[in-house]
Amino acid sequence: MTTVVALAVGEVGLGVVLQAGDWAFVLRNAEFLLLGAGITVALTLTSVLLGLLAGLPAGIIEVYGSGAVVGAVSRLGVLFRGTPLLVILAFTFFVNPVNVGAFEAATLGLGLRSAAYQSQIFRGAIQSVSEGQMEAARSVGMSQVEAIRHVIVPQALRRSIPGFQNEFTIVLKDTSVAFFIGLAELLTRGFNLFTQTGQSTAILEVVLAVSLVYFVLTVATNQGLDYLGRRFAVPDSGGER
Amino acid sequence: MSTEAADEPGEPATARGSVGVELGRRPLFYAVLGPFWAWLVVRWVHDWVLAPELNVTARETFFPTASLVAAGTTLRGAGAPAPVAGLLDWLAGGMDFVALGVEALPQLAAGAWATIVLTVVSILAGLVLAVPLSVARVYGGRAARYPALAVTELIRGTPLLAQLFVLYFGLGLTQYVREVPGVGVAVLPDTAVVVALIGFTINSAAYQSEYIRSALLSVDSGQLTAGRAIGLSKVDAIRHVVLPQGLRFAIPGWSNELVYLIKYSSLASFITVRELFFRAEEIGNATYRFVEVYTVAALFYIALVISASAVMSYVEGRVAIPGLGGKGRR
Amino acid sequence: MSLLRFEDVRQSYGAEEVLRGISFEMDRGDVEVVIGPSGSGKSTMLRCVNRLTEVDAGTIYLDGEAITTPDTDVNDLRRRVGMVFQDFNLFAHRTALGNVTLGLEEVLDYPREEARTEAMAQLERVGLADQADSYPAELSGGQKQRVGIARALAMDPELMLFDEPTSALDPELIGDVLAVMRDLAEEGMTMLCVTHEMGFARSAASTVSFLDGGQVVERGPPARLFESPANERTGEFLERLTSLHGGEQ
Repeated sequence: MTTVVALAVGEVGLGVVLQAGDWAFVLRNAEFLLLGAGITVALTLTSVLLGLLAGLPAGIIEVYGSGAVVGAVSRLGVLFRGTPLLVILAFTFFVNPVNVGAFEAATLGLGLRSAAYQSQIFRGAIQSVSEGQMEAARSVGMSQVEAIRHVIVPQALRRSIPGFQNEFTIVLKDTSVAFFIGLAELLTRGFNLFTQTGQSTAILEVVLAVSLVYFVLTVATNQGLDYLGRRFAVPDSGGER
Repeated sequence: MSTEAADEPGEPATARGSVGVELGRRPLFYAVLGPFWAWLVVRWVHDWVLAPELNVTARETFFPTASLVAAGTTLRGAGAPAPVAGLLDWLAGGMDFVALGVEALPQLAAGAWATIVLTVVSILAGLVLAVPLSVARVYGGRAARYPALAVTELIRGTPLLAQLFVLYFGLGLTQYVREVPGVGVAVLPDTAVVVALIGFTINSAAYQSEYIRSALLSVDSGQLTAGRAIGLSKVDAIRHVVLPQGLRFAIPGWSNELVYLIKYSSLASFITVRELFFRAEEIGNATYRFVEVYTVAALFYIALVISASAVMSYVEGRVAIPGLGGKGRR
Repeated sequence: MSLLRFEDVRQSYGAEEVLRGISFEMDRGDVEVVIGPSGSGKSTMLRCVNRLTEVDAGTIYLDGEAITTPDTDVNDLRRRVGMVFQDFNLFAHRTALGNVTLGLEEVLDYPREEARTEAMAQLERVGLADQADSYPAELSGGQKQRVGIARALAMDPELMLFDEPTSALDPELIGDVLAVMRDLAEEGMTMLCVTHEMGFARSAASTVSFLDGGQVVERGPPARLFESPANERTGEFLERLTSLHGGEQ
């Protein structure tokens, strides 16, 4: 936090004057901004969840599926990973034949794109579980589905925590792109504040305050997922071989 | 105060995620990408050299669409019985779709140029900043390490769009950039583009420094020792022994970064940069044909992204050294 | 009737023929030890029995019933045939106890408590009841392998397959695993073992097969086969093996 202030103070030399009154403006509107932060957090959670629900099966299919299904899943993945989020949101909000609200459209866009990335995280994690695990599970008489469910996925999920953590923070930061479709999340609210008439001197203060909230959220997310990773950790000598 | 996901060297802990297209033996991709690039280059040369005075929106497509539109009209007016008429209508719709997409091409080509400039300049400028940043993180003393850490963490912990807002709205960088001689003259980028370039460069430098940092950490520590043992100074040993190996390890991360920048350069449209997405949106607003124009824009982005992946995997193959990182690495 | 019967079993991996017509049978309670140079097809032969590898031609019968047909219930077959792997393949995310209970709960539908009781009994049998709550990464190689044996035994198999169970172990850890295998043999378990532990073969095996080039070159009681091999290749192989392992245990 001190660094952010230092960064801001450093800019004074550029001729931008940070006035106490402008920070007071930010403080007066703290509640308005924090409501936006609430929407940012909610959107992150719904999007990551949708990404998980679609991405995990997609990752499993890419490893264990066959034929046309794999082709379709991996092509869809390339489509979502190769297109900017802005374009995806344009489709889920403006082009979408079903009339949905900005929050739903943002969840759909962020969630499907996240699914495309999460599928790669899970695919890699599944492939890193040794083949012997599947053989051992099949050898006690489990079906392939049972083996995937009880032996492969539990191990793969643990191994995908670092990648998942990374993906989580990417989604968190990218919720700001929902500015495009007018969703009143944190950045949009900041923009609405400093574009009010007479507040043009407080622009920097507002944007820095908004950035600080994002930063705190990112750090908190990482700490939280770190804790989760430790909580579910299993002694592992780097892959049972 | 760490936003790092995992710290094991070699783990792409801070990866922005790769597209995951393997191109090697997929001639179909090349059959599409080849003509796409040929057309882009011809288009650019034509617009700058042959008709430079023409406004972007006034440019004509190379592929006349009048016949397509006429055919569509004929199909609709054919007055065929019900089931056939439905089919003909559908066909006509497809022709309109293609026609509008084709008409958007000249403007999208201009946008694609801006997108490519944004991407290439900021990844290269970002690399120039990222190398010292990462070396400071890995080999620097406290005085170098902590500032470098603070900068990378702050940038990686906040959204790129917020950073663009800080530069464009918050600091009003345009008013300073405008004073710089040469900006906006002839083919040189105008003020908003320069602000976007500054933003992307800083942002990309932070991410690239993370890739390079974990790549440097994955270079065997004995390499530095061996460098020192033959009498190189620490700086020289880092420069001649560690960096050449580490930068090769960083290539997969660098490919991701390139793809990431191609896509995220679209955010520059919010600060009025007329790149690919901006052009698409503009056409959409003028014609209300959002489906067509966004579809064509999406295809442009995918073509750019896939081309970038192909180039990077070629580079990776070219600089590979037997037994050192390269394609075997994740 | 024999418990396990191979009838002209053939298997190819790509262009390479791994098994070239294997035929033999073993009765309930028999302990068959298979020896042979690497690449001779020993592991493949074992893996055909529980169909981790599919045969290309020929038939394998378990308890008189063909198990290499398309309509065989593979999961049921694998429940009836236990397998112990060279590299253990313990489920890394589960404790020793969890490794044993998983099959009981998911395949045999034991209620949780009964699965636990049964699994503890199996761990007791291999001398590892005190390590029930350890994760695989916290166990020594010998302990891991004994958990692997307990995991297979818990399914109450009619036949146990051992695929070089001690070759990934440090020499001082081999003894514990072999002791468990000897106990099993004495209890009357039918066992098909790929192993080069001559001491074990001598004391516990009812029959030893020498496999080379995908064929059973020679087969007989251990004493006969080890003392006076009829085939030249068997003799050569045994000589190399003895000089390598320093002979008797």
